[in-house]
Amino acid sequence: MRVLHDRGFTVGAAIALVMVTVAVAAPLLTAWEGQDPTTFHNDLLDSARGGVPIGPLGGISGDHWLGVEPGTGRDLFARVVFGARVSLGVAVSATVLQVLIGVGVGVAAGLGGRHLDAGLSRLVDLVLAFPILVLAIALLAIVPPSWPRPVLLAVVIAMLGWGGTARITRGETLTLRARDYVAAARVSGAGPLRVARREILPGLASPVLTYAAFVLPTNMITEAGLSFLGVGVRPPTPSWGQMLSTATTWFRADPLYVAVPGGLLFATLLAFVLVANGVRRVLDPRQRTEVLR
Amino acid sequence: MRRTVPLTLAATLLAGALAACQGGGEESSTAAFDPATCQGGTLSVLNQGGITHLDPARLYTSGGGNIPSLLFRTLTTRNRLPGEAGTKPAPDLATDLGTPSDGAKTWTYHLRDDIFFEDGTPITAADVKYGIERSFAPELPGGAPYLRDWLVGAAGYQGPYKQPDGLAAIETPDPKTIIFKLRKPEGDFPFLATATQFAPVPQAKDKGVDYENHPVSSGPYMVAAYEKKKSLSLVRNPHWTKASDTLRYACPDKIEVTSGLDAAVINQRISTGAGPDAYAVTTDAVVGPEQLAQLGSGSELDKRVARGEFPSTIYLAFNTKKKPFDDLKVRQALSYAINRTSVVNALGGSAVAGPSTTFLPPQAALGYQPYDYFPAGETGNPAKAKELLGAAGLSIELAHENDDANGLGPKVAAAVQDAFKQAGITVTLTAIDSATYRDVTGKPATQPALSLQSWGADWPSGGPFLIPIFDGRQIITAGGNFNLAQYNDPAVNAEIDAINALTDPAAAAKRWGRLDAKIGELALVVPLTHEKDVYLYGKSVKNAVPDGWRGTYDLARVSVK
Amino acid sequence: MIGYVARRLGGTALVLFGLSAIVYALFYLAPQDPAVLTCGKGCTPERLAEVHAAMGLDEPALTQYRHFLQGLFVGRDYPAGPDVRHCPAPCLGYSFETDQPVTALLADRLPVSVSLAVGAEVLSLALGIGAGLLSGLRRYRVLDKLVNGLILAGYAVPVFLIGLLLLMIFCVYLRWLPFPTYVPLTTDPLAWAQNLLLPWTALALIQAAAYARLTRAGVQDTLAEDYVRTARAYGFTERRIVLRRALRGALVPLVTLTAIDLAAIMTSAVLTETMFGLPGVGQLLVGAVNQIDLPVVVGVTLLTGCLVVVGNAVADLLYAAIDPRVQLR
Repeated sequence: MRVLHDRGFTVGAAIALVMVTVAVAAPLLTAWEGQDPTTFHNDLLDSARGGVPIGPLGGISGDHWLGVEPGTGRDLFARVVFGARVSLGVAVSATVLQVLIGVGVGVAAGLGGRHLDAGLSRLVDLVLAFPILVLAIALLAIVPPSWPRPVLLAVVIAMLGWGGTARITRGETLTLRARDYVAAARVSGAGPLRVARREILPGLASPVLTYAAFVLPTNMITEAGLSFLGVGVRPPTPSWGQMLSTATTWFRADPLYVAVPGGLLFATLLAFVLVANGVRRVLDPRQRTEVLR
Repeated sequence: MRRTVPLTLAATLLAGALAACQGGGEESSTAAFDPATCQGGTLSVLNQGGITHLDPARLYTSGGGNIPSLLFRTLTTRNRLPGEAGTKPAPDLATDLGTPSDGAKTWTYHLRDDIFFEDGTPITAADVKYGIERSFAPELPGGAPYLRDWLVGAAGYQGPYKQPDGLAAIETPDPKTIIFKLRKPEGDFPFLATATQFAPVPQAKDKGVDYENHPVSSGPYMVAAYEKKKSLSLVRNPHWTKASDTLRYACPDKIEVTSGLDAAVINQRISTGAGPDAYAVTTDAVVGPEQLAQLGSGSELDKRVARGEFPSTIYLAFNTKKKPFDDLKVRQALSYAINRTSVVNALGGSAVAGPSTTFLPPQAALGYQPYDYFPAGETGNPAKAKELLGAAGLSIELAHENDDANGLGPKVAAAVQDAFKQAGITVTLTAIDSATYRDVTGKPATQPALSLQSWGADWPSGGPFLIPIFDGRQIITAGGNFNLAQYNDPAVNAEIDAINALTDPAAAAKRWGRLDAKIGELALVVPLTHEKDVYLYGKSVKNAVPDGWRGTYDLARVSVK
Repeated sequence: MIGYVARRLGGTALVLFGLSAIVYALFYLAPQDPAVLTCGKGCTPERLAEVHAAMGLDEPALTQYRHFLQGLFVGRDYPAGPDVRHCPAPCLGYSFETDQPVTALLADRLPVSVSLAVGAEVLSLALGIGAGLLSGLRRYRVLDKLVNGLILAGYAVPVFLIGLLLLMIFCVYLRWLPFPTYVPLTTDPLAWAQNLLLPWTALALIQAAAYARLTRAGVQDTLAEDYVRTARAYGFTERRIVLRRALRGALVPLVTLTAIDLAAIMTSAVLTETMFGLPGVGQLLVGAVNQIDLPVVVGVTLLTGCLVVVGNAVADLLYAAIDPRVQLR
C-alpha cells in the first residue's frame, strides 16, 4: 500500500497499535506486574514530606515498574495502563458518534432546500458556540450516577463536536451536488435519500475519513482537558488527564508523576496524528479540506 | 495510642512555641520587632479563595476572621496570643468581656469612649445593635446561626428592612451600653461576641446589598478598592487609634489582597520571594509537598514557616436511622477498619493533618480528652473488622464532595474506600457538588447513610463542637441539620444545658471533654483527622506568629519593616 | 448580499436565544438549588425559603426566562434591602454569588481574555507563516523536516500539557520568568507582555501548526506553477515571487482560519486561563458553573457564543469569496 511508504505513518501506526494493545490488555499487564490500580501503599510514601514516594524516580522498584503515585502510593504503571482505556475508549467512541451525526446533518443541509440548509447551519453554529464545560458539568449533575461516566463523556464530546464534521460534509456535498452526474441522477427522478446514498456518500468518503482521522486525537485532547478540569471519570478510575491536573503540585517533588502520563498522552496523540497525516496524504493530497480545530 | 497522645499534645505546643520563636525570630534574639516602631510598607496577601462578600452580616468567621478583623472591630475578639493562651477572648469595642446576670441569661456590655468609624463619627451601642439586626435580613444571608437561636424572640425576625422596630432582645439604654437577653443560659456568650455580626454598622450609611462595596470600617484599615473575588486594597483608617486597640498593631501602611491564585503558585512565589513577594503572606494556602521537601533540612525556608493548629476535625458521619448503621456492631467494625495514615496522606501528609481517634480535636481549650475505643492502629485493623461483620461482608455507599478543596473530596474518599476494601467492605463512592453538599447532607430526608464531614471550632470551646452535632434538640428535619447521627439522648441534652450555664471556661472544658469521651463509646462518628496549619511567609515579613485560636498568623500583627 | 447578511444576523439572534434557553433548561433540570450556596453554612430551612424567594427562584422556569429576556431588552428592577436596584438594558442580571452586575463582571474580565486571544493569534500567525514560508521554500532540508515534525506535534499537544512544561522550565527550573499574573496593558505594558508571554507561547505553538501547514502548501503550490518557472527564467528572485503570489494564495484560507481561531481561543480560554491563573472570562465560567451561578453562566455563554457565531459568519463570507462555486445560501 502506498501509505506504508510514509515513514511517519508507519511509526505512528506502530505506536498507536501498541497503545491500543496496552489498553485492551490492561488487566493482563497489571496481573503480570502483580499490582492493581486501586490499592494504596502507604508504606512507600514519606508522609512528613507531603506523601512523596520514597526512593529516587518516584519509587521505581522491581515491584513497581514505574514507581508509585504520590499521596496514595498506588502503582503508577497499573494506573497509566488502565488510564489508556479511558483515553482511547472515550476518544474512539466520541469520534464514531461525531462522524455519524455530522455526516447525517451535513448531507441533509447540503442536499436540502435553502431553508433546511439555513436552519441546520444555525444548529451547527449553536453547537459550535456552546461551551463544552457547561454542558459537561450540567449533564453530569442531571444524569443518575449509575450511568457509566466514560459513556457520558463520549456522548458529551460527540454532542458538541459534530459541528466541524457537518460543515466539512456540507461543503463537500454542495460541491458534489453541482457535479453533472448528480444532476443527472436527480433529473432521472431519484429521491434525495437515493441520491445521498449512491452519489454523494462515496464522494464524501475521502474528506470525511481524513477529517475523522484528525478529529480522533482532538477528541482525546478534549477528554484529557475535561478530566484535567475535574469533570472526567470518577475516582478511583484512573485517567491521564486527571493525573496531569494534580501534576502542578508535584512537578518538583516527583517529576516522574508528570512525565509518565504526560509523555504517554503526547506519544499516543502524536502517533494518531502521524497516522492521520498519512491518511491525508493518500486520500486528500491537495489538502482541499481544511481541518478546523 | 494512649501514650503517644499526650506527647502529641506536648509536641504541638512545643512546635507552636518554637514557631513563635522562629516566627518572631528577631523578637527573641535581636529584638528587632517592636510594635511601636513597625509602621510602614505594603503587605501583600496572596490567596486562593476570593473574598466573595465584605458585609459583616454575611461573613461566617471564627474569632473575627483574619482579613475581616482588619476592618470590623467586634464587641470582643480573640486575644491573638500564641499557643494555649490564645484560645481566650479579649475585649475589643467593649471595656470587658461582659457582665452576666440572671444566671447567664442576660449579658451587659459597656463600650469604650475612644472608638470611631472611618468618617469620624463615634461608634455607639445603637450601631452594634443595627449591625446584628441586619444580619437577619434574607437579602443578606450567611453568618453564624447562633444569634437566631440564642436571642429572645429572634426566631422569626426578618431584619430591619421589613421590621424597622428591631429586636427587643437587644437593649441600648444609653449610647455606650448594650444588653442582650437570651433564651437560655449561655456561658460562652463572650466567645460568640467575637463573630463578625457584632461589628457596628451605621444605619444612615446602610445600602443593603450594596453596603459591602464599601463597608464603613471600625478597624485599623479601610477599603480603598475592592473587586469581588479578585482583589482588595486596604489603607489606614485615620480615625483608629493605637490607644483604643491594644490587640492590633496595624504595622503596614497598606495591605493588598490578591485572590484566585493557585495554592502551589502562591507557595512557590512566597518561597522564591522575588520583588514584592518578599512582603507576601497568605491566609489560605497551606504548604504543599514541594515546600515540605525543603522544610526540616535546615534550609532558609525553615525560618519562614508558621505552624499552628485550628481546632477542626474531619470525620465519617453515620446516619444511625438508616440501615446498616443502626447496628452498633457495623459502626464499630468500620471504626476498626479505617486506615488513618492513607487519609492523612490524601490530605497532604503528616505535616498538615494528624490522625484523630476523638471527635474533639486535640486542643486543651476544648477540653480534649484522649480516647481510642476501637484501636485501628496506624493502618487499620481489618481482621477485627471482619470478625465483627461476620462472613457476609458489607456493601455500602459513601458520599463525598466532588472536589478536594475542603478535604472532603475524592482523594480522601478513595483512601477510605481502599481501607474498607481490605476488611471485606465494598464501598461505592457518590460525589455531590461541593456547592450544595451541606444542603443535601443537612436534610434528613436526603441525607446519605454515610458521608465525609468536617467541623471547625466556631470558637475554641467544646460547646460549638458537640452541640450542633450531638444535641438531639438541634435536629432540624427541614434542612440545615448538623446532627447527622440523628442522635437524641435526653441525658446528654441535660448535661449540655448544665455545662452551658457555667461561666468558667476551664470547668466547662473539663465537662465537655468527659461528654465527648462518653459519646465516643457509641461510635456515632468515625473521627479521621484533625487539622494542622503550616503557612509560609515572605522573607521580609516579621512577627508572623500563629495565634492559638486560628492556628495561623494574624494580619493585624505582622510587619513588613 | 444584503439579504444574506440580514439572514445571517437573524440566524445569529436565533442562535443566541437557543444558547440562553438551553442553559436555562440545563440549570432547571439539575437538582441542585443555587439558593443553598448563597445562603451559607448556617442556613435554616426558613432562611433558605426566604433566600429562594429573594432570588426569584420561586417562579416557574418559563417565567424566570421571560424576566431574563425582558431584562435584556428593557431592563429590570431588583429588590435589594432598603432600596430597589435598577439594572438597565441589556441586563444580564446579578451574579448569585457576588451580587455584582454580570455585565460589569464580563467587562472587567474581557480585557484579559482579549489580551490572551489577540496576542496568541499574532504570535501564532508570525510563527506559522514564518515556519511555513521557510519550509515551503525548501532551502534547507533539515529545517523543512523539523518544521514538518513540529507542525504535527502542534496537533498532538494539549494546551495544558505544553503550558505545564513551559511553567516548569521557565518559572521553576530556569527562573527566567515570574509566575504569570495579569497586569493590565494600561498599567505597565512591559509587565503585561512579560506575564502573558508564556500563555501566548503555549497557545501559539499549537495554533501555528495549522497556519504553517497552509502557508507551506500555498507556497509549494505556487512555486510549482508554470508562470513561476517563467518568472525565474526571467531572473526574478524567488523571494519576490513567493511574497507576491504564494502568500496571496494562502492569504484567504489563513484569514478564514484566523477568524475561526480567534473565536475558538475565547471558548477554549477556560483551560488556558485555569492553567496559568489568569482572571479572564474562561476562569469566570469555571467558577460560575461550579457555584451554580446561573446569571454569570448565561452571560459568558452568550458572549462567547456571539463571538463564535460572528467568527463563523465571517469565515463563510470569505470562503464564498475565494471559491466561486460555493454560493452564499
